[in-house]
Amino acid sequence: MFLVHTLLCQRSNMAACTRRTRQMLGLLRILRNFPQNERLLSTSVLRHNVASDGPPKFTPPSKPVIIDKTQKEASLRRFLSPEFIPPRQRTNTVKFSVERKDMIQRRKVLNIPEFYAGSIVAVTMTDPHVNGSLNRFVGICIQRSGKGLGATFKLRNVVDGQGVEICYELYSPRMRKIEVLKLEKRLDDNLMYLRDALPEYSTFDFDMQPVHYEITGDVPVNPLKVKMRPKPWSKRWERPKFNIKGIRFDLCLTPEMMEHAQKWAEPWRPYDMLKEYDTSSLEEQIFKEVQENLRK
Amino acid sequence: MTALTCRFIKLADSLLRRAPVTVSRAGAALQSRAPIIQGIRTHRTNTWWDEHLTEDNPWPRHEWVEGSRRVGLVAVKLGMMPVWTKSGERQVVTMLQVQDCHVVKHLSKEEYDGHTAALIVGGKNVSPFHRPEGYLEVFRNAGVPPKQKLTTFCVSDNAIIKPGTPLYAAHFRPGQYVDVTAKTIGKGFQGVMKRWGFKGQPASHGQTKTHRRPGSLGPGGDPAKVFKGKKMPGRMGNIYDTTHGLKVWRVNTKYNILYVNGSVPGHRNCLVKVRDSILPTRLENNKNPPFPTFFADGDEEIPEDLYDQDMFQFGEPMSFI
Repeated sequence: MFLVHTLLCQRSNMAACTRRTRQMLGLLRILRNFPQNERLLSTSVLRHNVASDGPPKFTPPSKPVIIDKTQKEASLRRFLSPEFIPPRQRTNTVKFSVERKDMIQRRKVLNIPEFYAGSIVAVTMTDPHVNGSLNRFVGICIQRSGKGLGATFKLRNVVDGQGVEICYELYSPRMRKIEVLKLEKRLDDNLMYLRDALPEYSTFDFDMQPVHYEITGDVPVNPLKVKMRPKPWSKRWERPKFNIKGIRFDLCLTPEMMEHAQKWAEPWRPYDMLKEYDTSSLEEQIFKEVQENLRK
Repeated sequence: MTALTCRFIKLADSLLRRAPVTVSRAGAALQSRAPIIQGIRTHRTNTWWDEHLTEDNPWPRHEWVEGSRRVGLVAVKLGMMPVWTKSGERQVVTMLQVQDCHVVKHLSKEEYDGHTAALIVGGKNVSPFHRPEGYLEVFRNAGVPPKQKLTTFCVSDNAIIKPGTPLYAAHFRPGQYVDVTAKTIGKGFQGVMKRWGFKGQPASHGQTKTHRRPGSLGPGGDPAKVFKGKKMPGRMGNIYDTTHGLKVWRVNTKYNILYVNGSVPGHRNCLVKVRDSILPTRLENNKNPPFPTFFADGDEEIPEDLYDQDMFQFGEPMSFI
């Protein structure tokens, strides 16, 4: 345990940019040093009320819930939802802090899980026109936009051959449940090109079972490259301003077309200092604040 | 306004020179305090408490009566955010923060316009440097730091407030309707389509160099002139504009923020003037407000957040509908 403690101390002193490698090394060291005491079992026993009449029903034995206590909180994935980060504006910070309070209050009532563009999410909402009925929709998250209370996310699915996209507001009072069926990232932040891709890449079963995901370590990145329908597309996705890495351009475009698209490249953009927005310190501050207030 | 500043400057000069001042009747009326300046700087000993104890309190607090008009506030426009009603409908609100709002001066009926009394209210403290002496004199008399914006509110006689009183956001309550006045965002010299909403001309079908022009300027030979007030290109914006009948959804008393329905003229962090709505259909909602204003030293205890009945509060469990 002393070894682990020193390792953890070392980890905390190192630079933030090597966080990922640090975590991996730390985990490997722990696993190597403690192969036997890796898991502490704790069982949660659910006892059903056995009916007194009739043959006794078969109650399957309770499944053990494995809680990994050797992994400290520091190794849990730190995720701050993107709508908490304020945009680069000349707004008074009081506005953001007051809005954040409201967001935290709402999060105490409704659990908004961690998800990214590319994860498959199931959303249950109350119907505004029929009292008491719930609507459930499953889809792949193609975009997360908006800041503050008006944050939205778009889910896309193909239902009966018809592509359907629904834009949901995270903090709407009609939202009942958001569950992540499959947590993963894609090569891009914005998957709007799925509209012009073959429909098989946007179809997801409504009765899909949730896939287990880790709460530690990095989010798995799906390196899938999507095949597109023939041109014309809704947007010229080959142009460098979209910076899309998740399309198989070699199957739908000739090298001449790719070169022609590079005419719209703006190579000075990464060096534009006026567009720089470093959110690392802000993010840490806001993350601490949010964690504190959610625990209260 | 220049006449007033001249008088202030004269008084200030006389004070500095320590010479006796012949205070005219108008000048005496300007001073709200009893002691007359006779070449010596008087040290003010009477506080608000003394005034309350005297029998003829010059600043009595009356009850609200139908037809009385009370003061408004000067607030800073922070930004906008969504708000949901209990039935799930989404509305947008503007957040207006009341920063250091004080009543700076009282003008009686005779001083102001002969019909109604007026109260000058200032909002948002600024530095006292690089400002004209006459401007600072007003604030010195009220005992208040200098403000960025001063506005006049026409007020009925039962709603006068002593200069120096701070005004808070709890002056307005959720469910009330307000009018918000501010300077609109300046757009510079703009053409007729953006400025007045003209339709312009078609993009093609033979139009020669005419796509956003005003077209005809009026009738022909009979008037043989262009009428005054013809809508033409010119400077747009940067003028005072009022939005009427905005509902107050929520009042945050800790940070003094008003959540007002819809949008409000002006850019972010601009100073706006908020007052009770004058629309005849909204008078019913503005009954029994805190009169003449909300006093923080009073006995009334209000919670940190005041919500409107119809508004969905975020801490509520999702058991509605």
